[in-house]
Amino acid sequence: MLVLAALAMLGAAMAADRKSGKPFSAGVGIATFGILLAAAALLFAPPVAETGTPLLANDPLARIFKAVVLGLGLFSVWVPPARREIENPGEYYALVLFALTGLMLTVGSNHLLFLFVALELASLSLYLLAGFPRTPRAAEASLKYFLFGGVSAAFLLFGISLLYGVSHSATLSGVAQALAAGRPSLPGMTGLAMVLAGLGFKLAAVPFHYWAPDVYQGAPATTVAIVAAASKAVGLLVLVRVLQIGFPLLAGCAAWGEMAAGWSLWLAVLAAASMIAGNLLALAQTGVRRLLAYSAIANTGYLFVALAAAGPKSAGAALFYVVVYGLATLGALAVTADVERDRGDDRVCSFAGLIHRSPFQAVCLLVFLTSLAGVPPLAGFPGKFALFSNAMAESATAGKPGLVWLVGLAAILSAASLYYYLAVLKRVFARESITGGERGTMPPVHALAVALPAAALVVLGVFPALLLEPLTRALMDTLAGR
Amino acid sequence: MTPTWTISSAFAGALLVLLPPARMAGSARIIALAASLVGMIAAALSCLARLNHPDAPVWRFDAPWIPCMGIRFHLAADGLSLTLLLLTGLIAVAGVLFSWNVEKRPRAFFAWFLTIIGGVYGVFLSRDAFLLFVCYEIVILPKYMLIAIWGSTNREYGAMKLTMYSIGASALILIGLVAAYAAAGATSFDLLHLAGADYPAAMQAWAFPVLFLGFAVLAGMWPFHTWAPTGHVAAPTAASMLLAGVVMKLGAFGALCVAMPLFEQGLGLWKPLIAGLAVVGIVYGALTALAQKDLKFVIGYSSVSHMGFVLLGLAAANHWGLRGAVLQMISHGVIAGLLFGIAGRVVYERTRTRDLAALRGFDLWRSLPGAAVAFTLATAASMGLPGFSGFVAEISVIVGLWKVYPWLTVGVAIGIIITGAFSLRALQKTCFPARPPADAATAPPLPPLTWPEISAIGLLLAVSLAIGIYPKPWVVLIDDGLRSPLFQSILPLP
Amino acid sequence: MHPSHTILFPLLGAVWLGCRTGMSRKGAGRFALVWALLSLLLACGSPGEEWLLPWMPDAGMNLSFRVDGLSRLFLVLTGFVVSFAIAASLRDERAGRGHHALVLVMQSALFGVFTARHFIPWFLCWEMTLIPSYLLIRLWGGAGAPKAALRFFIMTLGGSAFLLVGFLALQLSAGTMDFSELGKLAADKQLTAALAKTFAASGLSGHTLLSIIALAVFLGFAVKLPVVPFHAWLPAAYAEAPAPVTMLLTGLLSKMAVYGLLVIFLPVFSEVLPALAPLLGWLAAATVLLGALAALAQTDLKRILAYSSVNHLGYCALAIAAAAAMQGDRSALAAALSGTVLQAFNHGVIASTLFFGIGILESRGKGRRGLGDFGGLRARTPVFCGFFGLAVFASLGLPGLSGFIGEFLIFAGVFALTPAMAVVSILGLLLTAVFLLRMMRKVFWGPLKPSLADWPDLTGFERLLFGLATAMIAIPGLFPQVLLRFANPAIIELLDLLRPTP
Repeated sequence: MLVLAALAMLGAAMAADRKSGKPFSAGVGIATFGILLAAAALLFAPPVAETGTPLLANDPLARIFKAVVLGLGLFSVWVPPARREIENPGEYYALVLFALTGLMLTVGSNHLLFLFVALELASLSLYLLAGFPRTPRAAEASLKYFLFGGVSAAFLLFGISLLYGVSHSATLSGVAQALAAGRPSLPGMTGLAMVLAGLGFKLAAVPFHYWAPDVYQGAPATTVAIVAAASKAVGLLVLVRVLQIGFPLLAGCAAWGEMAAGWSLWLAVLAAASMIAGNLLALAQTGVRRLLAYSAIANTGYLFVALAAAGPKSAGAALFYVVVYGLATLGALAVTADVERDRGDDRVCSFAGLIHRSPFQAVCLLVFLTSLAGVPPLAGFPGKFALFSNAMAESATAGKPGLVWLVGLAAILSAASLYYYLAVLKRVFARESITGGERGTMPPVHALAVALPAAALVVLGVFPALLLEPLTRALMDTLAGR
Repeated sequence: MTPTWTISSAFAGALLVLLPPARMAGSARIIALAASLVGMIAAALSCLARLNHPDAPVWRFDAPWIPCMGIRFHLAADGLSLTLLLLTGLIAVAGVLFSWNVEKRPRAFFAWFLTIIGGVYGVFLSRDAFLLFVCYEIVILPKYMLIAIWGSTNREYGAMKLTMYSIGASALILIGLVAAYAAAGATSFDLLHLAGADYPAAMQAWAFPVLFLGFAVLAGMWPFHTWAPTGHVAAPTAASMLLAGVVMKLGAFGALCVAMPLFEQGLGLWKPLIAGLAVVGIVYGALTALAQKDLKFVIGYSSVSHMGFVLLGLAAANHWGLRGAVLQMISHGVIAGLLFGIAGRVVYERTRTRDLAALRGFDLWRSLPGAAVAFTLATAASMGLPGFSGFVAEISVIVGLWKVYPWLTVGVAIGIIITGAFSLRALQKTCFPARPPADAATAPPLPPLTWPEISAIGLLLAVSLAIGIYPKPWVVLIDDGLRSPLFQSILPLP
Repeated sequence: MHPSHTILFPLLGAVWLGCRTGMSRKGAGRFALVWALLSLLLACGSPGEEWLLPWMPDAGMNLSFRVDGLSRLFLVLTGFVVSFAIAASLRDERAGRGHHALVLVMQSALFGVFTARHFIPWFLCWEMTLIPSYLLIRLWGGAGAPKAALRFFIMTLGGSAFLLVGFLALQLSAGTMDFSELGKLAADKQLTAALAKTFAASGLSGHTLLSIIALAVFLGFAVKLPVVPFHAWLPAAYAEAPAPVTMLLTGLLSKMAVYGLLVIFLPVFSEVLPALAPLLGWLAAATVLLGALAALAQTDLKRILAYSSVNHLGYCALAIAAAAAMQGDRSALAAALSGTVLQAFNHGVIASTLFFGIGILESRGKGRRGLGDFGGLRARTPVFCGFFGLAVFASLGLPGLSGFIGEFLIFAGVFALTPAMAVVSILGLLLTAVFLLRMMRKVFWGPLKPSLADWPDLTGFERLLFGLATAMIAIPGLFPQVLLRFANPAIIELLDLLRPTP
């Protein structure tokens, strides 16, 4: 199918392993080619409603998100890690492609077990990618990632099996039907909780977030980019599908004054915890990578706010925001990688005077961090705005307060987050450059990795409807179809 | 020339200003001047057009933007918006003129400057709450950059304090807006739609103070005003002019056109407190200004005091009060721009000091008489002396206040007197030292006023005088804006 | 010729002076003098049509000016005193372009105050005098000038703030701030009713409300006139300012208050004035007495005359308070009002002349102006002694000179209306005689001080000025109809408002 094309390229990549000369750029080049091929296949494949196997679905939402994964993956590939870190670029990029394949399969899956397999394919690749360089830090990152990931995978599997036990069906719609017929049962809720835990790990929600700072700091930049962008997007999509399609009835309510047990309430609690922990801990960071990690945790909190509203528009807004967030974070990582290469570390003070050394990167970093902070005219702003307004709209009707407590908390913490983003930007723009450090040249793909997401964020900032409308419509079509 | 020329000229200018190569960086100021002039002329022509055709339908631009949330790109220019557009244009031109000699990274400076101007134009023209909020937030980051990079005293701290207050207040606005959107049926963000919806009284009781406070922080309401003096002092001249002259008015405009129409019952509940805080702000600002040693701090606190009049007019919530509030917005914008321009550019650039005691040594009345005359007239305007715009605004607010809270007029009278005192103190310490110091003869001669400075001072003074002596066209425009259906619940038609 | 020409003419001169950066000091002085004289001519000739500029028309606020007889009288006074002051300042080394420009600005403002028919233009011009007078005192004054100027400014501003706030309350309830309309409303007893209706929430009666506003407005006038105890700014300001500026202060600024009390305060607040009249009367009597007593205790010539001004203006306040009492018949009222007008005009001329003389003494004496610094000048400068003496006697109220007629009419009216206060004020007359004659004796009689041995007599220019001033003193003294002819129509109008003929 679509992904087989990508798989084919993996083989070629492995073969290209041994070539000396410029193995690195060859690796990047082949990976790019593979991704583009998959994208072409996606575009030109006939929009068939139902494919052969019931394992995979080809609904509109899946198609959009496959494109999203490919796009984010492409940009991630173009974020070059420090050259010294990667000894076998061929293997590295092969693993990258494997991870992307896994993610693509996850997007399309409709069967719970298949979902698990695809997710594990991606995760295992990512564990290896995290530990690829032979540095102690990377090893620590990889180990933590693997341990946490393993536990969460166990949770996920156990939850799935519980659900199967309850519903005798392994598709999401089957689960929904079974639950609709009978009363909500303890195994059902427990299964759901465990699935949530497993997915929560993927998304770095509190209290499943402990791996994130170390992975963001220790792993090579490309890996982190995939983790932060593509993997997170897919994780959210899975969560949305699971909750909206599988368990609409178990939602409960998180509105003020009307709280009822259900995944909406759990998500609300997780959201609050993630936002508070992520934002507060980010304030204390001196390294940009760890800062981005805590920002990831906080952003998961914002996403969960929207999901807690349990409505289709909120979910659509969340999907939009996760894409925007992914673009911004991977762009920021790209610039950070360059600064690391130039100055040796990613501390905030190393960014000083970037506007003089490399105005292009400084302006793009401005775009990325501003979008993360949620300041217009970048895409982060309509994203967050859509999150909050749809969360309110779908939880507060007829003047009842609804989720205002959560939205209020989110708005205030999001505003406070500007502080730590400005801490970086202030050094970039207002401080003078410290001399010293080698000035490596920037590979052209790197420039693309920085420029294209920035451009996308600007365009989406002014015309968010370009992505928001299709996503929302696709989601509603998918929900209606089931 | 439609009013959109204001927004587009500002943003286009912001981009164009970055184009010249590094060697010709000085040409950035010419581009900036051209862009701001285009904006000002567009605003002025639109005002004239509206004066000549008062019964024509209001100019409007309405296009869908994010349909799934009911957000439209909706601009409209009634008299109220037009007068504030003109104010922005004036401050933009004057700001560029006063920044004529910026040497450090002029392209970036004017780019940030024009971005703020564009955002401000956008706020004044928006009729959709989302669009208004977008433009409102666009100015936050450029404000930070202008102060942190080109500022003076304590600039990074001042910039961060100002920015965090701004964005914190914006968070409150966001909460209020989203709550209103949800309660109004989540179909549209249009201001009229949101204003027309019926919100339960319990909701209005908490939603109004949240929304109003969000806007009022930026308007410098006591006791949330502490960002203003620090920020204004830290900022470079043009930024101070923008901040005090225009950006603070964004908060007042938002309070007037968003918070008040949306939650009228909430307004009725919280009005007395707002009026009280406003009077406290007037007196407190004036008293604090009286005690300052730094000239810019005096002007900064005087801004807090003057904005108290705006908030007081809003709290009176009747025709005279609102009219006075808008007049004071315009008047104070011009006067603050003038004062910061003179203090920052004319005086500081030459004497390198803003300390009142040190300025005594320069004997400005003899060494720089043009500046002394200009500063005298600006001080007269700031005191609210008749003949200048501040007087018209203050009497309108006081008449409106008599109707609703007569006893507060005592506080206002006291505030006026203390304002006279600190203005005079600043004036006499700066320009007219008690006795020329013994070394007056050896004080270095100061370079005379340059033509950009003279043009800017002349422009702003002329406007203030024009409003003070012939306020009729301005009042006509403002009344035209106040007739909008947005205010119908607050100002019932006779 | 339109009133606008008269009012704006001096302002144009000021602007011209401001722009001509290369003008010499002497040239500026000559220009200013010529311009002031031309303004005086304009003031004599301006017709009575109205000049109306719409301001906020829907609120009934317009800038309206009109010259009636009373205004013309004060316009002429203004023109005369300003020209006199500029001529007196020509001798001063420090008075240059800025000084004369500020004086001309003040002249425009004064023209405006005396012709305004609506509160807004009146207040505009009232406040417009603040900054020029502040600067004139501070920049060209003596050692204590900064403090004196500051106190002057703050106190005047404070009074004006309450005046403003009070009138705005009237705007709200009566819907207008036009003086004639307000006067008509008050004559029909409508004003208290309107106030009661507007401020019904406060629970106070219309009468009480109007009284509060009346007191607030009076405060503004009281600071300017001045009335004890709001006179604290005056002695220092008059003493520290250079003599020409003091001529302006005493000759004109205080007359703004008199005019205002006559034309604004009496008609508009006529409903509540009978109740307030005793308070006002005793304040006025206190002013008269305390002014005279304080003058007795001074040793600085300027301060003596300053308190003397307080004393003389106290008579005006007394007459107004008596008129406010609204008892007695029309003729007594007419006498009080006419006396006020005459006293105002004549005091303006006489006080300016006296300060001119002091200015000559101060400049010749190199800044000394104590009572004991001079003596026996009669021998050295007989002409000066003659002119100065004439002015002093006029100030005393010698019949045949202008000072008499005003005081006579005032006392005639006050006796008929409120005898008690008149008796108290007679004491003031006696004390005035004492300190003025003492001043004359100490300066001009007695042994000639050696330091004054080589003093020249008046120059030709000074003699000319003194001569003109003397004419202005003598003629109204002998032929008071010259002045009364102008004032009468306005006084009759005022009478009609206060006491309509049955």
